[in-house]
Amino acid sequence: MLSSPERNAQAATIADTDTPPVVTTSAADPSFAALAARWYRLNRGRLRALAIGIVSLLAFLMVWHLLTTYRVVLFVRFVNVPSPLAVYASLDKAIHDPKFLLHILLSCRRILIGFSFAAIVAVPLGLIMGRFKLAHEVIFPVAEVLRPIPAIAWVPMAIMLWPTNEQSIVFITFLGSFFPILVNTLHGMSLVDPVLVRAAQCLGARERSIFREVYFPASLPHIFTGLTVGMGVAWVSLIAAEMISGQYGIGYFTWEAYSLVQYPDIALGMIAIGVLGLGSSLIIRGVGQLVMPWRST
Amino acid sequence: MSETATRGLRGHIEVKNFSLSYESIDGAVQAVTDTQIHVRPGEFVSIVGPSGCGKSTLLNAVAGFLKPSTGIVTVDGERVNGPSAERGMVFQQYSLFPWKTVRENVEFGLKMRGMPRSQRERAARTLLGLAGLEAFEKHYPEKLSGGMKQRVGIVRALATGPKVLLLDEPFGALDAQTRVIMQQILTNMWQRLKISVLFVTHDIDEAIFLSDRVYCMTARPGSVKAEIPIPLERPRQQSMMMTSEFLALRRGLMSLIREESLKAMGGEISDLGMQGLNIDLHGQSLAEVL
Repeated sequence: MLSSPERNAQAATIADTDTPPVVTTSAADPSFAALAARWYRLNRGRLRALAIGIVSLLAFLMVWHLLTTYRVVLFVRFVNVPSPLAVYASLDKAIHDPKFLLHILLSCRRILIGFSFAAIVAVPLGLIMGRFKLAHEVIFPVAEVLRPIPAIAWVPMAIMLWPTNEQSIVFITFLGSFFPILVNTLHGMSLVDPVLVRAAQCLGARERSIFREVYFPASLPHIFTGLTVGMGVAWVSLIAAEMISGQYGIGYFTWEAYSLVQYPDIALGMIAIGVLGLGSSLIIRGVGQLVMPWRST
Repeated sequence: MSETATRGLRGHIEVKNFSLSYESIDGAVQAVTDTQIHVRPGEFVSIVGPSGCGKSTLLNAVAGFLKPSTGIVTVDGERVNGPSAERGMVFQQYSLFPWKTVRENVEFGLKMRGMPRSQRERAARTLLGLAGLEAFEKHYPEKLSGGMKQRVGIVRALATGPKVLLLDEPFGALDAQTRVIMQQILTNMWQRLKISVLFVTHDIDEAIFLSDRVYCMTARPGSVKAEIPIPLERPRQQSMMMTSEFLALRRGLMSLIREESLKAMGGEISDLGMQGLNIDLHGQSLAEVL
């Protein structure tokens, strides 16, 4: 426990940081210090979150480090778990190893092909199903039957269906992202405000223009939700498929590391998958903001 | 604006022997029955009536969204069968395209007509200037106030040079002060363009202030109960709303509508209100039941 003068001193410093810095609001061009102070006031919440975030990550690394260096066994066994430093060492080795980069590159290629195909098929299909009742009535029951089957359950079937291993893995990735994109596009179409359609008709828009100028942009926010979810499921499906039937890819790398008792590489593979997943969802978000400027404030 | 000169001759709306019913689980529902209305070229006509009387139904039929069960709707002798840019419409829900900027919204009708980009940009800027919105041309609708949104909605509907302008309670969602300003703006625009206007509202003051003629509708099934000419001089000023002439018109319309509103609520009133909520307590006291 702190003694009382110390506690008072601490309270004083807290109070100090809480009072906003004095800013001269004179109209004449503000000094750099004043501008900096204002920027600080406006962004204080964000700076705080950033600072706490960094501290929290460092704490996580510290706990990981301690658990592994002391080989803690608390029912969960950290005996063979690699320490952060060991993982860092293997990362240092891996980024100079063309084979590791090839693993990553191939996984990215599979995602790119599988996910792009899914988007190219599912978005137009969803738009058409949302607009034309017959298309919905024909396709929806089939989609509903196939949708609950996890992409991983398709692995044996995919191997039978496609001539090469590579194609079957891409197919699994495609399947994983297909249904989230389709379902969200359909949802977006169902929420299009009928008043906007009528407004367009009153301004002389025909079916095709209404589709392009109203239904499509109105559904875009939900389409992008579908793409984000679809991208997540695509990675899940890809990693599982690579672990089962791959010869290359970051999922295969991670599984192989376990088989070859390269424990630091397991964690390295996991972290790489996390970073790739995060990166791809950031890309989708960025594209979304670019395509929908009216949504960014 | 060479079109303005000829526009005065266009825009004759005629609704003859109009009725509209639709199927429901309880059988056919008669929304509007045996209605005749007309709007002469360049005239400002309002339809008022109790809620649910079918005034919006009538307007939607003129717009071409609903087909009459019997009767006929014509504009300049041509039968209406489907929406078109010849009949501009302003909706109560603002109905601006959120993904288009203010200018792109105004340009939309011209784009549909195939006008080249630079030409329609210029036209949209001019129109926005008339409505005092040129500073907001690059804004998205979300950032605008309700009154500004509705001004853009009116400008958008006028951009294609329609024969008639249809407005479905356009100021219903605005606060009282904004509504008064919007009414002034609308009359100014109407006087400048001399376009035929059919205006649906439940606000009696608004109908009198804006119109040359007011149709008052009956409760459901709706039909025309009365047709009231508004002989107030133009241009209309806000101060006119205090004149005895205005107030007399207001009193007349008010009593017509009250009669119909009571009729519309008749069922509920006789069942509950008039009988004073007789609840059979089966001989127990209220406290016991509760």
